[in-house]
Amino acid sequence: MNNENEGIKTEDISSIEDDSQPATTTTSPAPSSENGKGAIIQLEEGKSIDDTLISLLKTGLDKGSFDAVLMPVKVPAGDSFTYLLIRDRSVLDTIPASPLPPIMSVQGAKAISSLTRIENGDLTIAAVMRSCETRAAIELSKLRQANLENMVLISIDCPGAIPLSEFIAVPEKSAEVFQKARSDRDDSVMRPICRVCNKSSMIAGDLHIGTLGAETGSFFIIPNSVKGQEVLDGLNLDAQESISGWHLNANEISEEKQKKRIDANKELKETVGGIDNLTDAFSQCINCHNCMRVCPLCYCQQCYFDSDRMKHPPEDYLQRAESKDSLRFPPDTILFHIGRMMHMTLYCVSCGACEDACPMSIPVSQIYGMVAQDTQELFGYVPGKDPQELRPLATFIETELGEVEE
Amino acid sequence: MSKVLELKKGTEDGVRDVLKFLLESGKVKCIFSLKRISGNGSAIAYSLITKPEEIDDTVPLFPLMPVNAANLLSQFTFKGPSPEPVAAVVKPCELRAFVELVKRQKGYLDNILIISPTCGGVYPNTMVADPNGDEKAEVDLDKLQAKYWDSIKQYEIPGEIRPTCSSCEQFIPYNADITVDFIGNGNLGQECRLYLNTTKAEEFVQGVDGSILNNEQDIRTDEINNYQKKREEFKNNRYNELELDDIGLEGLVNLFGKCIGCRGCRAVCPICYCQLCTFDSQNSNYKPSTWENDLKRKGGVRVPPNTVYYHILRLTHIGISCVGCGACEDVCPVNIPISSIFKKMGEAIQDKFDYVSGKNPEEEVPLKIFELEELTEVED
Repeated sequence: MNNENEGIKTEDISSIEDDSQPATTTTSPAPSSENGKGAIIQLEEGKSIDDTLISLLKTGLDKGSFDAVLMPVKVPAGDSFTYLLIRDRSVLDTIPASPLPPIMSVQGAKAISSLTRIENGDLTIAAVMRSCETRAAIELSKLRQANLENMVLISIDCPGAIPLSEFIAVPEKSAEVFQKARSDRDDSVMRPICRVCNKSSMIAGDLHIGTLGAETGSFFIIPNSVKGQEVLDGLNLDAQESISGWHLNANEISEEKQKKRIDANKELKETVGGIDNLTDAFSQCINCHNCMRVCPLCYCQQCYFDSDRMKHPPEDYLQRAESKDSLRFPPDTILFHIGRMMHMTLYCVSCGACEDACPMSIPVSQIYGMVAQDTQELFGYVPGKDPQELRPLATFIETELGEVEE
Repeated sequence: MSKVLELKKGTEDGVRDVLKFLLESGKVKCIFSLKRISGNGSAIAYSLITKPEEIDDTVPLFPLMPVNAANLLSQFTFKGPSPEPVAAVVKPCELRAFVELVKRQKGYLDNILIISPTCGGVYPNTMVADPNGDEKAEVDLDKLQAKYWDSIKQYEIPGEIRPTCSSCEQFIPYNADITVDFIGNGNLGQECRLYLNTTKAEEFVQGVDGSILNNEQDIRTDEINNYQKKREEFKNNRYNELELDDIGLEGLVNLFGKCIGCRGCRAVCPICYCQLCTFDSQNSNYKPSTWENDLKRKGGVRVPPNTVYYHILRLTHIGISCVGCGACEDVCPVNIPISSIFKKMGEAIQDKFDYVSGKNPEEEVPLKIFELEELTEVED
């Protein structure tokens, strides 16, 4: 498979570093976030966090802090949510918007990539999405599949998301279940991958909405970059309040989930570890490749596994069938999954889009997430955390991974 | 009218016997059939089988279509016709779809002996993947089949099969070498009746432990015709339920609004054969000026774009050959009734050209033919 490093010799280390450009977000973090400070927003009379946030976004549009807003809204039939790019603030008055919908129907990073993959637009866009979507967007920008120069990325403390198929079956009831679970901090109704997510409050973009640890009737807006700080300035919001309360809460939850994740992964490894168990786990896979297509980090316009490379003459298939007495068709189901894992595991943000899209209810994101935990740990790499950090496969370090040398 | 080969065995056992015979006698090199595969107890997948003993695990008539076999036969013969004789057990719509692919040079029928049952429909994949919303549960496949057979024997439409199967009037295979007498066979458990439709079929089964009946028979009986009417009735009810007749753009936006753009429907559709779909290509990589203009006009634009447009264009591209198999609807993560919509529109398109998708391998796809005088009703 082609990659930018093909043919580059080790002497050309500097050219490798030049090729891998950092993500196109602002470079320096906002001074106030370094000091652990943010702005406190009081909820408007009788309004929820979500509605207050929407009001704030409308103000931002009015004042020109940004030209457009990208956020989830209810679809016309009311039975799901989708991303809408909104320029006209009256749209926010007529269409029910939701900064934190009960589901993740489309991965927000894919939405951002579809807008800026070719080039940067002229409009400044405030994009409100879950932390994993923000991180995926940052990672995509490092892969040059998204341009974040004119994006203001706003993430929000995430309680998780309801499994897509469950929501679709009973949308109204599911929405109620979600809201209650969100206020009760009960993640038992969320997707399995969400239940072990230790990055649900991770600050990665330009601004972060901190709902944890805030006094009742308020929430934090925490700037994480100069760009974010400028938006706050434009809204006349002072980021001078200590966010230690939020930090404490967020860290507590993160540690708890990390423990859960380690336990869950250990258990999962026993069930799916080894080629035989893994094959069994994917025995019902119908090779639809939905998981690959909804994955934000699977950006190849034509997937290797859909290409001519995977098409063989009948003689080959017959020979394989003969050598095995019986050959499942199409073959190479596990090759696809292991191959896809190899290609994107370092960038996997464990968002769960894959598992939501799987028509055979295979725990795809749990398996891929478990592998990603290990591979990312190997390089000490957290995808989407630092726009400046070069991704591991694009860097050459002479002494590395000594433990696999003989 | 065809010769009928009768085996004194249950229908599925009889088919397995024939498959084994074909391998053991060396008449075919390989069998293509549904098979129980190791792993999750309810895992069934198509397989290429060369060893007779492996036939014991085949379930050639199981009411499941994990993948439309046309995709697989196309993949198998993509680079050229099968060099060796192969026998394939497929459902009628899978066969029709493969014929449509063959017309587009995406496969070859040569050297393939086709065995196909009169089809009672298939269950959605969730029946075995996520029974009763519990993905860890294993399904008793034998029990499921027994329940299904109970309906089939009595010319009833089994409950819970794909709605599009319940709506299908083309359950008698065209172009099969051997048709398995399935629908309405009250003795499914004790007898196996195989209609030998071609000389090829008669040659291949010579030596099978069974007897050829004295009289040739027509698989299409009065009861079969009545059964077809049941299917038609279900179809019309389904279309009415979905209010497809005057659905309009607003209706389509409502129906497809929850589409997440996974393109699963395209991936599993046997007729969608493009290696690189226009929606994945540079054609759909929009420069910001495109959406910035839209944004100025409308105040808000959905992202990623083309939610409904994708479906309408796909319909335009494949409607002429849609076989109404239901694979699209089955794979959809948000349960959009895609197949019912495409089937209805597909039939309307095909009617306009007096074309029945997959019926006649010699008949060109209408879009390939130019006739000077045609569709004059749309001229001014």
